[in-house]
Amino acid sequence: MTEDSEREEIEKLLPWYVTGKLGLSDTSKVERFLAQHPDALSQLQLIGTEQQETMRVNEAMGWPSSDTRDRLMASLPRSATPSRGRFARFGQFFRMRPALGPQWAALAMALLVLAQAAFIAVLLTRAPTYRLAAGAHEDGAAALIAFADDARAADIARFLADFEATIVDGPKPGGVYKIKLRNLDKSQLDDTLLSKLAEHRDIVRIVLPSRD
Amino acid sequence: MGAVADEASLIARIAAGDAVALRVLFARHHVRIYRFIRRLVRDAAVAEELTNEVFLEIWRHAKSFAGTASALTWMLSIAHHRAISSLRKRREESWDDGAACALPDAADNPEVAAQKRDAGAILRRCLDALSPEHKGVVDLVYYHEMSISEAAAVLQIPENTVKTRLFHARKRLSELLRQAGIDRGWP
Repeated sequence: MTEDSEREEIEKLLPWYVTGKLGLSDTSKVERFLAQHPDALSQLQLIGTEQQETMRVNEAMGWPSSDTRDRLMASLPRSATPSRGRFARFGQFFRMRPALGPQWAALAMALLVLAQAAFIAVLLTRAPTYRLAAGAHEDGAAALIAFADDARAADIARFLADFEATIVDGPKPGGVYKIKLRNLDKSQLDDTLLSKLAEHRDIVRIVLPSRD
Repeated sequence: MGAVADEASLIARIAAGDAVALRVLFARHHVRIYRFIRRLVRDAAVAEELTNEVFLEIWRHAKSFAGTASALTWMLSIAHHRAISSLRKRREESWDDGAACALPDAADNPEVAAQKRDAGAILRRCLDALSPEHKGVVDLVYYHEMSISEAAAVLQIPENTVKTRLFHARKRLSELLRQAGIDRGWP
């Protein structure tokens, strides 16, 4: 190998030598060459500057707009979504609540979900104005929620069961329902919990804290 | 290794239809993907659109992720392919690289003239003026800090071609800088 071709071969490796992404064998080759040709050390400075300015150029590209993710999630084809285990959320529910081990608890919860699904189906299809009798659900934190247009009643029921929530009022204008989360007081209904509710975008269109 | 396994498991969850996993992957990587694409297509709106298309493709084809490369390498490969296809469709895009690194002229206001004299700013303009082919490899190595094999996997070219392409990109950068009045003594 002539000295020129050796120099070119080493120069081709230098960017990775500078970024620390070169394999051991190539690193040794580069270091041997640099020891014998100190004039080539000036390349390292050039490459360092190139990298620094490339970083700045990329940082200057900024961020995509904040609604990019929402547009992505809205565009996910439903048919491409393989069916999740129908009772996956039940499993999750009971993993979170080991004290509810007995089989009757699972059965009771399944019946509750079925009953709620049937009830929601009626609500969604007939859309009556619905309000529980005063005092029926006075405990628990309240939130306002609108369900996704294509959410199925069974999925909504499962979602409500997962969060131990019940519809107590609605639909209000815009298809908004008031729900109560039974085991939470108002102070626990914070942004984190609202975000957790909102994460279920296949079911929830919007969720907001309720004033009461 | 843990991070790689974690990402592979995220993609496996996406393949099983877990939209939450897609959100996590999106949150981790969408800015990188967006910037990589935007540098290539030079249009923010197109870059956003293509970024979403990348994640949509991941959603649809997560099962085809072989796990032989990192998830980021796989995603950038999809992003690169999308960006280059988009550029091919927009044939009107031309690379007037000389103009981008121009010397100050009398018509420039003081701020522009000062920027043009600043060596860092000139280098950034020249980096921005490289062809998409050169820009892609420069960004993968310098910004995404990819190894030779990772860059080769993203660009789907042999490793020797990656080395040669970056070498030529750096030479082209020197030419552009020289045209802008900066001789950096190499090559």
